Amino acid sequence: MKDKILTFVMIGIIALMGNWIGYNVSPIDALPGMMIIVAVTILGFFFAKIFPIKLPTVIWVSMLALLITTPIFPGNESIVKVTEQVNFMALATPILAYAGLSFGKDLKEFKKLGWRIVVISLVVYTGTFLLSTLVAEIGFRLTGKFH
Amino acid sequence: MQENSLRNWKIHLFVLILVCLTEFIGVKTFNIGIGAIALFPMLYALIIGAIISLPSLKILKLKEMNIAANILGISFMLFVAKLGMLMGPSLPKIFEAGLSLGLQEVGHFAGTILLGLPIALLLGMKREAVGATFSIDREPNLAIIAEKYGSDSPEGRGALGVYVCGTLFGALYLSVLASFMAQTGWFHPISLAMGAGVGSGSMMAAMSGALAVIFPESAKDIAIFAGAANLITTILGTYICVFFSLPFTNYLYKKLEPILGRKSKQDQMKNI
Repeated sequence: MKDKILTFVMIGIIALMGNWIGYNVSPIDALPGMMIIVAVTILGFFFAKIFPIKLPTVIWVSMLALLITTPIFPGNESIVKVTEQVNFMALATPILAYAGLSFGKDLKEFKKLGWRIVVISLVVYTGTFLLSTLVAEIGFRLTGKFH
Repeated sequence: MQENSLRNWKIHLFVLILVCLTEFIGVKTFNIGIGAIALFPMLYALIIGAIISLPSLKILKLKEMNIAANILGISFMLFVAKLGMLMGPSLPKIFEAGLSLGLQEVGHFAGTILLGLPIALLLGMKREAVGATFSIDREPNLAIIAEKYGSDSPEGRGALGVYVCGTLFGALYLSVLASFMAQTGWFHPISLAMGAGVGSGSMMAAMSGALAVIFPESAKDIAIFAGAANLITTILGTYICVFFSLPFTNYLYKKLEPILGRKSKQDQMKNI
């Protein structure tokens, strides 16, 4: 747990730098928001660990984040206001940087694959994206929402 | 995952440099004739990071790459927290889109099978096709296949192949695809955002990034709806894969294989 907390703090600091360079929000303005984001994440991991019924961490983190920003939660407006200082794209950049740095480890496995499976992978990802977008679009056109 | 498998200053330092450099470069769009490709910081970070990790360059050790992968696994939770905080105030709007949001999940789960399975059969794959196309083959899906058929079965090899390709190229490929689909003008940004909730963190992040670059005025809505769809896909994922996706893929395989499958048996096995 201690290493996880340290890692989140580390990523938080890196994201604050990205948020500063890419979105012109000074780290001092974004710090309170980032602290809330890190705190909610750590709490999510904590609940996932102690709760008797095992639920995935992602559900705990999402539900906590949702809860404290819904209009029914006291002080939600100020939480929303400070966390808005952290751009969601700024938080995604370090994540994809870690993804990039782990690329090499699967390369050996990849070289063993045939071309068919590579083609099918792209088809599979295209299928899930295309069909769900299409269904959502049809849904919106039928109900007239967002159009 | 071992706790000490997260500690590595070299990796964090590389990420810090990558983030500063790529955020400094910022968003660039290139027109390549059939449409513009949107390039943005997280995509550069992914590509430059991948180059740094190339084994032939000997910059990172395998152990360090594994640590980067472990950090990736938990770092996504910060992004989930941020998305949750965007969603909270917009809950009424999310519920308003509830019907489309619910229905499009059918597209997420059926899309891999309906498009993937026939093409896999046409290319001459046999039982590998079931593992490859029943889902997007992320970790939870691999576990389902391994439990039912074993990791070294044809189904297991098919699933693992898509898993490896997805880990390496999924985010990059999908963000380019999202860019192109956004530029056709056929889809509302929110429809595309829901489509981006494929159930993988890095893929969803890269896709919503691409969409946000093309529709800057809808950036917040894109994050909200991509996050909501991704959350539903993740929560329902395991159950739907066990009770619907896998039986349905097997059913379709039985129906389609005699029609689309290639006769020669020598094709199978060796090309996975």
